[in-house]
Formats: sequence, C-alpha cells, structure tokens
Amino acid sequence: MSHSHPHSHPHSHFHGKNAIEHVAEAQAEGIISSVEVHGTEVPGHITAAADAARDTALVLLLVGTLLSPLAPTFLSLIHGLIVFAVGWILWKSGRSAWLGWSRLERLHRVLEQEKWEIEHHREQEREELKVLYAAKGFEGRLLEDVLDVLMADGDRLLKVMVEEELGLSLHSQEHPLKQSLGAFFGSCLAVFLLLIAFYFTASIGVLVTMTFLVMGCCGMLLAYKAQNRLIPAIIWNVAMGMLSYAVVYFLMGYES
Amino acid sequence: MMTTKEIAIPLTSPESPLFEDFFDLGQPDSKSPFITLQSRGWGIDLPLRAALVAAFLLALSFAFSFFPAYLALSNLLLVMVYFLAGTPSLIESIEELSQFEINIDVLMTLAAFSSVLLGSGMEGGLLLVLFSVSGSMEDYVSAKAKNSISSLHKLSPSRACVVESDGTLIERSVKDIAIDTRILIKSGQVVPLDGLVVDGISTVNLVHITGENLPVTKKIGDTVPAGARNLEGTLTLSVTHLSSDSTLARIIDLVTQAQEARPTLQRWFDRLSEGYAIAIILFAFLCALVIPFFQDVPYLGHEGSIYRALAFLIAASPCALVIAIPIAYLSAVSVCARQGILMKGGITLDALASCTVMAFDKTGTLTTGELGFEGIELIGRDIYAPEHLKRALEVAYSLEKNAQHPIAKAVIDYAQRQNVSTIAIEGFSAIPGYGLKGTARFPEGPQQVFIGHPEYILSEMAEDARTAALSQIGLIQERGELIAALLVGKQFFLLRFRDTVRPEVPGIIKELKKEHKLRLVMLTGDYENSARKIAAEVGLDDYYANLRPVDKLAHVSYIAAEEGLAMVGDGINDAPALARATVGICMGKVGSTAAIDAADVILLHDNIDLLGWLLKKAHATQRIVKQNLLLAGLAMILASVPALAGWIPLWLAVVFHEGGTVLVGLNGLRLLKK
Repeated sequence: MSHSHPHSHPHSHFHGKNAIEHVAEAQAEGIISSVEVHGTEVPGHITAAADAARDTALVLLLVGTLLSPLAPTFLSLIHGLIVFAVGWILWKSGRSAWLGWSRLERLHRVLEQEKWEIEHHREQEREELKVLYAAKGFEGRLLEDVLDVLMADGDRLLKVMVEEELGLSLHSQEHPLKQSLGAFFGSCLAVFLLLIAFYFTASIGVLVTMTFLVMGCCGMLLAYKAQNRLIPAIIWNVAMGMLSYAVVYFLMGYES
Repeated sequence: MMTTKEIAIPLTSPESPLFEDFFDLGQPDSKSPFITLQSRGWGIDLPLRAALVAAFLLALSFAFSFFPAYLALSNLLLVMVYFLAGTPSLIESIEELSQFEINIDVLMTLAAFSSVLLGSGMEGGLLLVLFSVSGSMEDYVSAKAKNSISSLHKLSPSRACVVESDGTLIERSVKDIAIDTRILIKSGQVVPLDGLVVDGISTVNLVHITGENLPVTKKIGDTVPAGARNLEGTLTLSVTHLSSDSTLARIIDLVTQAQEARPTLQRWFDRLSEGYAIAIILFAFLCALVIPFFQDVPYLGHEGSIYRALAFLIAASPCALVIAIPIAYLSAVSVCARQGILMKGGITLDALASCTVMAFDKTGTLTTGELGFEGIELIGRDIYAPEHLKRALEVAYSLEKNAQHPIAKAVIDYAQRQNVSTIAIEGFSAIPGYGLKGTARFPEGPQQVFIGHPEYILSEMAEDARTAALSQIGLIQERGELIAALLVGKQFFLLRFRDTVRPEVPGIIKELKKEHKLRLVMLTGDYENSARKIAAEVGLDDYYANLRPVDKLAHVSYIAAEEGLAMVGDGINDAPALARATVGICMGKVGSTAAIDAADVILLHDNIDLLGWLLKKAHATQRIVKQNLLLAGLAMILASVPALAGWIPLWLAVVFHEGGTVLVGLNGLRLLKK
C-alpha cells in the first residue's frame, strides 16, 4: 500500500479550527472508523457467530416457507434448503471477513494520517495534547512536563494520540479471518439445528419454533456481550423475526 | 547537582505495537496495531496460503472433471479457484488499467478470464494459480528485504536524555534535539546522536559502526558517533549532528540507497514482460478485428476471428514463462537451504554466477571475530622466572573474570584452559575509559594491581622505562597484535592478543582462486598491520585497511560498477556494502541483524567452506534458467501461432501450452540434486 501524505497542506492540519474543535472532529472520525459491522457495539468472532446464526435461521425459515409449496417431495425441499444454506453460509462468512477488512482499512487510514501529523506538525500535536491533558485536570508546570515526556517518544505519542484524540483502542480487533470463521460456525450451527429438527419432524411448525429459539438465543448473547438488557433483546429479536415470517406466510399466496 | 523529573506516564508494554514496523512493511494484517495479539497469526503470509489452497482446489477440480457425475462439483471447485486466485488478480489488473498500465498481470488475468468464455476454465485456473503463487513468493521476499531498514531503526534510540541549562534531565525525541544540545549517556546506553564529549570519560564499543568488537576510550574533546554503546562511565556529549544527519542515519540511508541501486535481473524481466503483454494484447485485438478482411471467416462463432484471437491470447499467455524462472530458483534455493545456505530470492543465484570478484570483510568473516590470547611479556627485564608470568596471569584472570569485553573473554578463556588459579582482590574498582584496578592479597603482602589501557600506566612511569615500554608496544603492534597492560606492584607486563583466522579459510581462498578464477580482495576497518598479517596468513594478495562503512561502500560500488562483485561480511558496518554489492553474503551465526537483513545470501552455520559449492550451483541454475526460457518460448510459439491461424483446435493448443509448462517444471526440478 502506498504511503502518500494524507494532507496536501504543508503547514496546518487544523483547517481554520482551533485545537479543541480539531480534537472533537478527530474523535468523531475515530468512532466512525471503528464502528462495528455486525450491528452491535462489540466486535469479535463470538458476535459475528451470533449475528450470522440469527440471520441464517430467519433466512432459512423464509426460503423454506417459500419453497414448501413448490417442492415436489419433502426430500427435495430438504435438498433445496441444504444447497441454499451452503451458498448462504459462504456469503455470511465472506461478508464478515470483508467487513472486517474494510474496518481495518479505515482504521489504518486514520492511523497513517495521525502519524503524518505527528511527523510534520509537532507544534500543533503538542497543542492537541495540551487540550486533552488540560481536560484531564493537568495544569501549569506538571502539564508542560507531561507534554515533554509524551512528545519524547514517537511511538508512544502515536499510541496516545490514537487512543486519546481519535478514541480508538489498540489490540482490540479480531483478525477478519477469525471473525469470518465465527460467522461460518454460527451459520453452520443454525443450519444444523433447524434442518435436523425439520428433517426428523417434517413439521413447518417445528422449523418456525427452532428459528425463533435460535433468534432469541442469539439476541440474548449479543445483548450480553454489549451489556444490554437481556429480556428486551430476546423479545425484540423474536418479534422482528415473527413480523418478517408473517409477511412471507400471508403474502406468498397472492399472485399478480 | 542534576535532578531527574519523574512523571508517572504509563509506558507502552513490551507487546506494544511497533508502528514503524507496521508502516515499513506496507501495513500487513499480521502487524496491525489494532488487531489483538492472539489473532495476528491469521494474517501471516495470507496471499501465499490462499494461493496454495487455490492450487489444491484446482487439483481436486481437475480430478473430479474426469467423472461426469461430479462435473458440477468440479465446476464449483473451479469457481472457488477463481475466487481465491482470480479476485486479487482482477482487482490489481483493473487498478493498473485505470492508471493506463498494461503489464503481464493484465495479460494473465485477461487470458484467464477469457478462457472461461472459450470453455477452457481449467486452463485459466492454472494460469491464475501459477501467477498467484509466484506473486505471493515475490511479496514474501520483498517483505524480508524491508526488514533490514526496520532492524537498523530499532538499533537507533529514538529518545535522548537532554541536560537542561539548570542541570535537570529530560527525555526528548531525537527529532527535537538541536545541534549543541547537551545529552547524557549513561553506562550501557547506545549513543542516540553524534556528539563531542564535554564531560566524563568512558569506553565505548563501536562494533555497530566499524565492525571491530573492541572497547575504545572516549574522553573530553573526543567525538562519539551515534550507534556506539557506552560500556562503563557516564558521558555528556554536545550534539554535533541532527538525528537526520547522524552516522547511524547515514548508514540507514546508505543501505536504502544501495538496495534501490542494486541491479537485478528481475527488473529486466519486468520491463520485458511489460512490452510482451502490450504486444500480445494489441496483436490479439488487431487479429480479431482484421482477420475477416483477409480470410473468409466471420467475427463470431467457433471459427470466428474473436474466438481465434482469444485462443491466441490464452496460448500466448506466459504460463511456462511464469514458471520457467521460479521453478529453477525455487529448486536451487531449496537445495541450498538443505545445505544451510539461505537466500533472499533465487534471482541472487543468477547474480552470483555473474561475479568475477569476491570481497571479504576480515573480522568475523575470515577470522572468528574473537580475540585469542597470544602471550605475556614482562617489560624492562630481559631475564625473569616463569613464576613471574604465572603470577601475572593469575592477577589478570582475577581482575578480568567478571568483565564482559572481548579482551577479558580472551584472558578468561586462556586462564581456564591453563587451569590458572585466582588471587583474592580487594578494593576492586573500574577506572572509566582505562581499565580495572585493585589490591591483590599475595602471601607476602598486598600489592596494587591494574589491567587495561597502557596509556594509564605509561603516564606514571619513569622516562627510561616508558621508552622501553613504548618501543615494545610498537613492535607488537607492528606484528598486527592487540595489547593490554598489566601492572603488578612495580612490574609492568604486556598481554598480547590476536584475531583468530578460521582454520578452513586458507583452503577456501585457494579453491576460489584456482577453480573459479575469482579475483579476491579483503576490505577491513582494522589497522594496516593487522590487515596485512591476516591477508598473508589466508593467502590474499589484495587488501584495503582502515575503511569506514562509507569507504567500504565506495570500494564496493567502484568494483560493482565495473564487474560482478560478491561481498562476504558480518557486521553492521558491512550492511551498506552487502546491500550494494552484486551479491551480499553474510555469516549467519556471528552476523549482525542489519547485515543479515541487507545481505542476499546467509551462511546459516558460518559455513564459508560452501562458497565454492554455492558458485557451482549458481552457474548450474543459470544454465537451467536459460534452457527453461528457451523451452517456454518455443512452447508458446508452437501453441499460439497455429491457434491463431486456425490450423489446430484450441484443445491441441492447450496441450502444447501445458506440455511446455510441464517440461519446464521437470527441467527446473533437476536442480534439487545436491
């Protein structure tokens, strides 16, 4: 990847703003860059697995509902669902990896920009640090001493600026492939549970029940990881799933 | 009195991200500071792993294609091959096309994806797999090369302890330190910036700068280069150069420039392949357009000109050419690795075959780099009893047994081999910059003892004794030996040391001269006398002494501009020369990290005796590469011209094409023989 200078302006990266406005803007950019891609606040392979399992369960139910009147036999319906599930699992795993890499690309871009600012605008970086540490209660000689120490080490300064100015956490993201593997296992688990139950009971009711069970459990796990309330998470997930299912179930009979 | 500011700022943990590494290596996932330490392994050599998985899937797809029942599975596996190996190529090609660049990547991708249109997806898959394997190997090698700069940066401290005007000490980034600023260097620290000693006395080790692993005394008025390690006392320096202009920074620059300036066959091949790609694509396009004007063929259909042009594009895609060079080099590299010789890129072998001159560093390369104890002499008396020498050795051993520097090591090794006993020393103390002193408890009574730099003793000696000592010191230095002074009471001894020649070296020099007709030369930072003695001992006619890194680089650049030069070295001071030489060869065991990184060939076990074998292998590789290029060219002509003319069906063109690839592969594998 090329390391072109992120700024064309050689003298200032504040762009007419003062240090505090620049820091606030940078923090917002950091948050946007690190935003989680699976719809929750907590990144990682467990989250990816839960998210993929929930989506897979619902999609399998919807496709099963649509295919059931068309499939000549029950076994051909199962076959169709398995084939669909394999394609779907690959999509969910690939998508998870791709979104992970996209997030990393965004994070690396802001890191590179910050590095450039540290190397080329040392005085302005010092001003930014001053604002940040003054807000923490440092003042006078102690504040100047803190700035001296922080400015002494380029690596440490970059780490501090990334964490304090941009609000990003280092060592916090799973590798996209590990996240993707989480999504893969989550999807596989959902497919396995739903299709095993459906195969042995041949009941669409069981398929529906298993789907909502998986969705409820996944909703709960995601809420637990995000430290949100569990009961609303379970109910909302099941309710949204039911609404989607109802649309397909009641409208599929209508022909144009 | 100096005071140090102590502020509780959390320092980065040992596992903290090395941002320089991350940026220097081109932002690889495995070094991303945002990724957890536990999951970084997932990103190591990812393109290479993806290419190998694609190759495995292609083999499966090929096997299944023989069973009609599994044709769908075979096709699915083929799609996966295109996904893994084709997607990155497609992205790269489209990005290159968007910048109006047409090269071999574009040709291969175009040919691979066009083959699907002609129903020869397997052929296209093979193209993609071969191309992605060779591309990822290239990435792997270039990442290794970037490591050399990274390890040099790690050697250079990024902070310095600045002495403020009120005497307080504060750490500052070296980038913020101006000329004439005073910095404090404590014992054990690496000097961060070039400076002039304004206070203190100490010994420093300049191994990183000169390659000579010896302590050098630095006192007020002396200059100290960045990269030197302060061994004992404290020094205050007045900075003489900015960080961007320090000695170490200049060495880093030299390595970077030397790496960029290095002539490689790969560049020639890249330029050639670019022209080839443009010519083939244009020609195929032209044929598709004009064939119907000259022959009675339509544009579309299996007999059409577009079909023929696409068949030509596939047949002319340099499948065998892509494999022709890597397979030969990979085979040679792998057999070298089995012999304990590591290579950064097989193309090195080609460069090695073109060498007519071989230059050697002295210390650590022709010699072991460790001092050997040669003997001890009592100065000022012509006749003395062996007991005097025995006692002197006991004193030297007792004083040096806790020290770390090379002279101490030589004394300790010798004393341990000779079972020399120790004497109790009291009041033991170090004299920064000079040596060690104490009081020896002899049975007949205590005596003052000292070991270290002769200068310390000479200044306190009587005039006639000093003249005798200086004359003896001159004689010893004339012989190319190093000395240390030992004082036991009033008795003054000189201890002699010598760098030890590797026992196998004279034989190797003889072989290189006789069998390979190479011109051999020694380049060293050591003194003239020492260099002359070692050169004579190993059988070298040409040598250059007193060379700084920049002088070595100048010599190497001068020779390399005229003819192929292989440079064999080990120290950081050799790094620029190793990078600039046609081929840099580094000793793996004793070599510094920077030298290892800058070199093209690493002798893992310092097995310098394999140099002759390596040269023979390089010549054999060059022969096979030439044969392979000829075979690949013939296969492409044989496949593409008849396909374009419509004389042979596509499947036969593919057979010629693949036949050439297999033949080239088998020929390359011959190099696996030892």
